[in-house]
Amino acid sequence: MIRELMALTKRELLRLARNPQALGTSLLLPILYLLLFGQGFNFGKYASAGVVLGAPTYFSYFAAGMAGFVAVTATLFIGANVIFDRLFGILKRISSTPASSLSIFGSRLLAGMIQPVGLAFLVLGLAIGLPHIGLSGLVVTASIGVLGAVEVLLAIVVLSAMFASLFLAIGFSVEQPQTYFAVVNAINLPVLLTSAALYPWGFMPAWLQSIASYNPVTLAIEVVRINLFAGAASYYPYSSWVYLLGLLGWAAAMILIAALLARRALGPRH
Amino acid sequence: MAHAGSAGSIEARALSKTFNGTVHAVREVSFHVPSGEIYGFLGPNGAGKTTTVSMLTAGLEPTAGEASVDGLDVRRQREAVRRRIGIVFQESTADGDLTGRENLELAAALYSVPLAEVRARVDSLLERLQIGEAADRLAKTYSGGMRRRLELAAGIVHSPKILFLDEPTLGLDPQGRAGFWRYVLELRREHEMTVFVTTHYLEEADGMCDRIAIIDHGTIVATGTPGELKDRLGGDIVTVRPTAGSPTLSAVLAAVPGVASVAEQDGSLRLKCSNGEALVPEIVVACQRAGVGLQGVSLKRPSLDEVFLEFTGREFREDEGLSPTDRAVIVNRVRQQMGGRR
Repeated sequence: MIRELMALTKRELLRLARNPQALGTSLLLPILYLLLFGQGFNFGKYASAGVVLGAPTYFSYFAAGMAGFVAVTATLFIGANVIFDRLFGILKRISSTPASSLSIFGSRLLAGMIQPVGLAFLVLGLAIGLPHIGLSGLVVTASIGVLGAVEVLLAIVVLSAMFASLFLAIGFSVEQPQTYFAVVNAINLPVLLTSAALYPWGFMPAWLQSIASYNPVTLAIEVVRINLFAGAASYYPYSSWVYLLGLLGWAAAMILIAALLARRALGPRH
Repeated sequence: MAHAGSAGSIEARALSKTFNGTVHAVREVSFHVPSGEIYGFLGPNGAGKTTTVSMLTAGLEPTAGEASVDGLDVRRQREAVRRRIGIVFQESTADGDLTGRENLELAAALYSVPLAEVRARVDSLLERLQIGEAADRLAKTYSGGMRRRLELAAGIVHSPKILFLDEPTLGLDPQGRAGFWRYVLELRREHEMTVFVTTHYLEEADGMCDRIAIIDHGTIVATGTPGELKDRLGGDIVTVRPTAGSPTLSAVLAAVPGVASVAEQDGSLRLKCSNGEALVPEIVVACQRAGVGLQGVSLKRPSLDEVFLEFTGREFREDEGLSPTDRAVIVNRVRQQMGGRR
């Protein structure tokens, strides 16, 4: 099973690497948000030091959120590939072999966990480099140790696993690309808007804060913020490990649901 | 409990598939394919060929009946069945974003081909199927014929005992079809592979298969070697097209010595006779004596077209644009290439 899992994961990653337009599209939305939304709201006192939950500027606060949001936009294609693989007969070929449904699902999940990591760090790097073209940039005020780097990495990987599973669950459940993208689009924006990726906590009404505190994107980016900004931890009620634990719960539930749906979709038809 | 067939064989007993409780795609199909045989499932589109293959390859749950492949129950031993069979689907299933070599390496990994053997097997197949030079090109750049050969290579990379070919030459030109069948026949001869092929090309079934089952509306209507099936027609077929209908013409022609039977079809009369060539002048004279004018008279040696007509009561429907001449060319070309061997 390990061999088939590795072979199928390699296939997924090769396909992603050979479709740079998919990578570009994954980055497009977070970059547009960085350039338009983040820059636009980074004015007045929000562009001053230490005003936004430990982050030196609103843009810094926001850029950390985009590193989490990229896990959503990048994993979207993992689910879409299921639809296209089914349409092009590739899924039929793979599921006609002795490969288990767990390997087929697991390989896509693994690829979905690996790819967004690089993109998230690319978004962070880009945000840090923006002052070179005269724009506001991400300012990292904390000194990140090995443990901090591991926490940030884990947060993005687990968030990616959660969303890759969600999109795989949709991909294994619907047949047409139009349906898939309609459902995904209906999910993406509410997920972003009900998270703490865009708004500082104090800007949200109480009901939105309640929703945002359980949003997996929030849980991941709080871990990123706590590690990027010195003193930020004092603004949050829990330590980064508690957020990671909550995120793991989300991911485990979603992986289980998606694996069951994949098994049903890949088993013999009735 | 399913009847366990012998090694390398395929067995189906009253195998049925009904979709949504109302669409009877396959109805109580039974057959036995012994090891090493090329068995053709011949029928028009929608006859139930692909549904049968899907059930035999453990991809579709039968509604009723039993089937075994290489002695294994297709319902209860799915994974084991899949390890022993190779499949070439009618549609292209190779991954266009991978190279030909990567496609075969992936197939080898999924079928657990021993790691030490993968490279040699893949290289050998690429060369054998004449895609060696394009091995490191993305499969989406391959021609239709190359993609079909890649599909075949992916289907046999694990040296299966039984190969299922579902309309394998659909969409190929005559040259591509001939090439594809040459490889299949070579592989079958070398590895004593059992081959189960579905097709709606009569000449392919006639020329390549040891035995044929004709399936129509989900039911097998006839089984036998191509020769046996044609022999059942009782000889040649003379088709008489009168200028106007005549109620007595059937009786007149049935009385001609040598005519075995007369049947009406679309305003024409189909006469079965043992020596049609010698009988045509007598048939024309009989029509003249009966005062019936003729639009034409044609003589056909028995072919699977006639066999299909005989057993189903209607013409074989083909929706592919290949002419009978092209199809005959394919069969002859393969036969020549194989030196008359199968």
